[in-house]
Amino acid sequence: MNDLSVRDAAFRGRFLLAAGAWTVLVTAVLVAVPLWFRDRLPDPLAAHWGPSGDPDGTMPFTVFVCVALLWVVLAGACLGAAAAGRAVNRRAARRWITAGLGWGAAFILGLQILTIGANLDRRRWEDAASLGWQAAIVIAVAFLAGWLGWLAGRPGPDERPAAGEATPPALVLSPGERPVWVSSVSSPVAVGLALAALAAAVSLAACALFGLPAELWIGAGVFAVVGLAGLWLSSVRVKVSPEGLTVSYGPLRWPSRSVPLAKLDRAWTERRAPADVGGWGYRGLPGQSTIMIRGGECLVVRYTSGGELGISVDDAAQGAALLNALVASGVAS
Amino acid sequence: MLLKLDLNDPRPLHEQVADAIRQAIVQGDVAPGDRLPPARDLADALGVNANTVLRSLRDLRDEGLLEFRRGRGVSVLSRPDPREALRAMVRDLLHEAVRYGYRPHDIIELIKEIS
Repeated sequence: MNDLSVRDAAFRGRFLLAAGAWTVLVTAVLVAVPLWFRDRLPDPLAAHWGPSGDPDGTMPFTVFVCVALLWVVLAGACLGAAAAGRAVNRRAARRWITAGLGWGAAFILGLQILTIGANLDRRRWEDAASLGWQAAIVIAVAFLAGWLGWLAGRPGPDERPAAGEATPPALVLSPGERPVWVSSVSSPVAVGLALAALAAAVSLAACALFGLPAELWIGAGVFAVVGLAGLWLSSVRVKVSPEGLTVSYGPLRWPSRSVPLAKLDRAWTERRAPADVGGWGYRGLPGQSTIMIRGGECLVVRYTSGGELGISVDDAAQGAALLNALVASGVAS
Repeated sequence: MLLKLDLNDPRPLHEQVADAIRQAIVQGDVAPGDRLPPARDLADALGVNANTVLRSLRDLRDEGLLEFRRGRGVSVLSRPDPREALRAMVRDLLHEAVRYGYRPHDIIELIKEIS
């Protein structure tokens, strides 16, 4: 056990070192290549191409070199996710990090190569070569690199709390008593963002209504959907009662989903972070999903069908204990 | 938050609900500073009217256990003192004892016996 954790720590160190070296290497290339070709590039250089394929936007040379900062921010976010928490020792989370590092490097390097290639040896930016299908190649290569990064994240430890390891002792229930457990979790940030999106939707709709371009309706629709989805997943209420498990969403506690006790197998608690499950909100596929409002302790229930649902709520241990006790008494009677 | 309602308790519902919440506070399920679930969630979970829960919450606030804050909901202010907590438990014990036909002095004997 101890041996294993030493090995995991060593792996974590190696992983962070390799990821850091990759970040530095790509940054160096992103800065060195434009500087190397500086004398053969116009200033400003063409940096944006219109739908016709002809250049229509420019960027001063110094700003072009600073594009490397984009990469630094992206890679820094990936490294930060790796350094904080236990993401490195969990395969699913580690793969997202390596995929992000691969995709980001390929995408930004590809854009740089395209831009330099089109501008090379031109006197003025208007003379830059036209680009079209090359952009598709960059996007495809970036996804290929992301996939390779995803594969590269596979080797190494995959630390997952064994199912049921943190099963709390079942409660003792006395007949003639109705026990219920209720807990809720909400994210003020999500509520704020959702309300902001709804406000934007209403403003855009009002603008469209009063004669501004009709395209604004599209924006209003998008913001409305985003706002409603955000509001829906900004808070969750979980109830365990003798009838079963009920999960209700949103400030209105609607929609709400109930699972009868007979369909529940057992429950336990597990620490899950947004990085483990792929972000905030409803994550995963039905049957293997997590409702992630905040990182930390989650209540995980397993259905008799074999599926699992994790919900990040406070006081999950008691909920799990009650659910197990109810399931046990249901089987006994 | 784990709450237990006695199905055979003849007392008014709001007292039972207050007892259930008080018990959760005494047992440390919710610590001072923790927020309680919204009243309508509690009401839904316990299968009672939201006004009943609100009445219980107000009673507990008057006891000094809860604090109402605008916009932040209801949070636990303090844990009742152990003696008061024990008093509640002894009351339950005596209540349970009556079901088996035991009188308070039988319980006193029983306590002496096992301690």
